[in-house]
Parts: sequence; C-alpha cells; structure tokens
Amino acid sequence: MNRSQKISLTLVITFSLGLFLGITAIVMRRSGVGVWKIALAFAVAIAGSGGIISLVFFRKDKDAITHDERDEQIWKNAHLAGFGAVYLYVILMSFLPIGILGEEASIPVTWCPGLLIGAGFSQVFAQSLAILIQYGWGGKDGGK
Amino acid sequence: MAGNELRNQIRRLRFDNGEMTQQQLADRVGVTRQTIIAIEGGKYAPSLPLAFRIARVFNVTIEQVFHYEAG
Repeated sequence: MNRSQKISLTLVITFSLGLFLGITAIVMRRSGVGVWKIALAFAVAIAGSGGIISLVFFRKDKDAITHDERDEQIWKNAHLAGFGAVYLYVILMSFLPIGILGEEASIPVTWCPGLLIGAGFSQVFAQSLAILIQYGWGGKDGGK
Repeated sequence: MAGNELRNQIRRLRFDNGEMTQQQLADRVGVTRQTIIAIEGGKYAPSLPLAFRIARVFNVTIEQVFHYEAG
C-alpha cells in the first residue's frame, strides 16, 4: 500500500465509523434514549481523527519516488468522483427537507453550515473511496 | 478498457536483462514499483513518454516492448 492508499483507507474507516455513530446519535435523540450529545461528539471526533492520524503517521518519504503519472491519473479521477459526490449531496440535502417536511415547513438556520460540513465530508469520503477502488484495494497491483 | 488491449514483454525483458527487479526498472524510468506491476499486468497503459523510457532501458524499440491487440 502506498501513502495515498493508507490515507484513503484511514479516512474511509474513520468516516464510516463517524457516520454510523452520527446516525446512532440521531436515532437516540428521536427515541429519547441515552445521551445523544455524547454519541454525536464521539461521531465528530472519530470522523475528524482520520485527518490527524494521516498527518501524524503517513508522512512523505523524501528520498523515494512517491508518485508518478498513474497516481496523478488516479488522483484526478478521484477528485472528479469527489466533486460528483458533493454535487449529488447538495442536490439531495436541498430537496430532502421539502420531501420530508413539506413545502410550508421551516428548517433551522443551522441546516446551511451543517450542509457545508457534510459536503466536505462527502467529498473526502468519495475521493478516498475512489482512490481505493482504482488502486484495487491494495491487491495485486497495489501491494508494496 | 484500453489497458486490456495493450500487451507487453516487460517481464521477459527484465529477466533477459540480468533478472532486473521491478524496483530497479521503476527507479530507472522514474515511476513507482506499483506502476511497473500495473503495466506488467496489463492493468495500466503507460503514457507514450514512459513507454519510450521503458524501451530505452532495455535498448529495444517500443514495438518490442508493447504491442496493441485490436479486439
């Protein structure tokens, strides 16, 4: 596994765990069971830890050839996948309140920054997933 | 995919040239070993400049390294 594969795998795992805990927190809040704020704080902390882990543990090797034209092609495609994911996410999150609450309902103003943060997470998640898929999940041509 | 139509003789050429390792070839053409593995396996079609650099390492023409199979 190269550096970008390791970073992508870390981000996919931490974001997936964060998403799972976030959904759990929402379910807890709706059903009034447990301390949902703690679950939500854990979800944000776990989702955010991916970036910190990547910065601390997966540093660049200054001497070796770290990337080439194939990596650049993979990153380019991954950026496109990330952009597509954000586009779909924004469309979904813009129309979802209408679909669920109806046209006459109102939503809190915190929806907008929440949408922005979610867009960032979905971009990084889709990009990391696209990198892993293109490298073949660290398989035959991804091994070190 | 285009990568599946491009066959290559890199593995054979490496062994004919003193059992050159994938890492040695990667270092000489300026790419990562992963990319050499992907090219050898037909999973990645290299750019023309990279294909020329690989051919130059083995002192052969580009057609002796890569050939396109129209399917």
